Amino acid sequence: MGYAKPIPVVIDENRPFWEATKRGQLLLQHCRNCSAYRYPASLLCPECSSTAFDWKPVSGRGKVYSFVIFHRAYHPAFAGDLPYVVACIELQEGPRLMSNVIGIPPEQVRCDMPVEVAFEEISKEISLPKFRPVTVRS
Amino acid sequence: MTALLKDKYAIVGTGHSRIGKVPELSDYGLQLTAIKNALDDAGLKKQDIDGLLTHSHLLGAVRVHHQCVSERLGINTDFGVSLSSGGATSGLMAQIAVAAIEAGFCKTVLCVHGDKGRTRESHDFRELSPDYLREYGMFSATAQHALGMTRHMHEYGTTHDQLGAIAVAFRKHASLNPEAQMREPITLADYHRSRWVVWPFHLLDCCQVSDGAAAFIVTSAERARDLRQPPVYVMGMGRANNSRGWIYGDHMLELAAKESGAKAFRMAGLTPADIDTAQLYDCYTYIVLATLEDYGFCKKGEGGAFVEGGRLELGGALPTNTSGGMLSEGYVEGMLQIVEAVRQLRGQAAARQIPDAETAIVSGNGGNTVCHSTLILRR
Repeated sequence: MGYAKPIPVVIDENRPFWEATKRGQLLLQHCRNCSAYRYPASLLCPECSSTAFDWKPVSGRGKVYSFVIFHRAYHPAFAGDLPYVVACIELQEGPRLMSNVIGIPPEQVRCDMPVEVAFEEISKEISLPKFRPVTVRS
Repeated sequence: MTALLKDKYAIVGTGHSRIGKVPELSDYGLQLTAIKNALDDAGLKKQDIDGLLTHSHLLGAVRVHHQCVSERLGINTDFGVSLSSGGATSGLMAQIAVAAIEAGFCKTVLCVHGDKGRTRESHDFRELSPDYLREYGMFSATAQHALGMTRHMHEYGTTHDQLGAIAVAFRKHASLNPEAQMREPITLADYHRSRWVVWPFHLLDCCQVSDGAAAFIVTSAERARDLRQPPVYVMGMGRANNSRGWIYGDHMLELAAKESGAKAFRMAGLTPADIDTAQLYDCYTYIVLATLEDYGFCKKGEGGAFVEGGRLELGGALPTNTSGGMLSEGYVEGMLQIVEAVRQLRGQAAARQIPDAETAIVSGNGGNTVCHSTLILRR
């Protein structure tokens, strides 16, 4: 038994991303030619088609571009989480990725809300990057 | 270039199976029923068909699907292809039919799509959607499209009353369509009471799940004049893809409909003011609203106000999805929008006929609304 939710498929192209989240770090591919960050992992830079890149750490900070609240479990392992938020997070470095917003009641999530990454360990091999609201400092 | 094709080709026959729950027919049973009805409608024999376009998508996805259909229909064709561009495919089939005839590949093209979406036995969403980031609980086209609605509400103040007006209008139309899957009228209060599926979508924001198939036949305007039905001419064709994806840039707010619609209007030499009826791809209420904005019926952000006050209803300024759309008539992935446009332009829509309808616009969206096709048709 144990973790019953789906687990991401790790392939050679995205392995550095998942090895980094395991260490509590968010790494994205960074194009050596045009300096664009990209996500998801891909052979080609979608901006300039260069195949030269490095994996670079990013801030883990961004904002909620948009979000939805699941009221129906499409997979039985999520039934206990309802209602839960899935959001499109826009990282400060540019790329957007899909994840969950945690640590806040779903009805309080808003578009453009500032968030930061928080890693959730789901297995020995995998930690998922999730996002929680940034505490507002005055 | 495409302006040279304006009015040069026509839709000469349409047909469909029963829509809704049709457990007694297989995928091919549904498709062959639609084909037979389209041939009868046009007054053509199967031997008159020399081009076949099918859609290889949906639950019964099979490879080289057009061959499976022609084998069962018992015809050889000069040109046959199975296409997959999601809900944009139906409109693209008409465009590819035109292009293929123009290129001399064939003369008369049968386009068919539909399947057993409702009563198929192994219906497992988990198998269907491998790309939806399941580890975060992200499942379904519903959630993908709902993301767009959330952002539209945030940017423009669009409301659930406005989305509800779309659902209510299309159900009203379905109540006049004896073949529609859902015919019981609904009120705005019913809309608000329907359960959340994925907020901000209520159940009544979402299209039906249906068994059903539909077919249409495209040939030259010249040949069309000798056939049984009044021809419905292809005036305008457009297509575009927001291929960087749904979550990229402003794609959730500005669909590929904008570029696709502009191409179709340019080819037809028309503007939105010239359109008598819209038959729009209504997988979700929000997509109707966004498509109306992107086609230029109103400004971006004003779709919410535009759809209120009965404007989309029969008798309104832009009667839309007059057979009930996928929200109420049934889901055949955009095929029934073409069938209804043809019916309205021939004056064969019975209780829901728009008086003197001369022009119709038809939209299709696929791949979670990043692929788009547009047709402008006239009688």
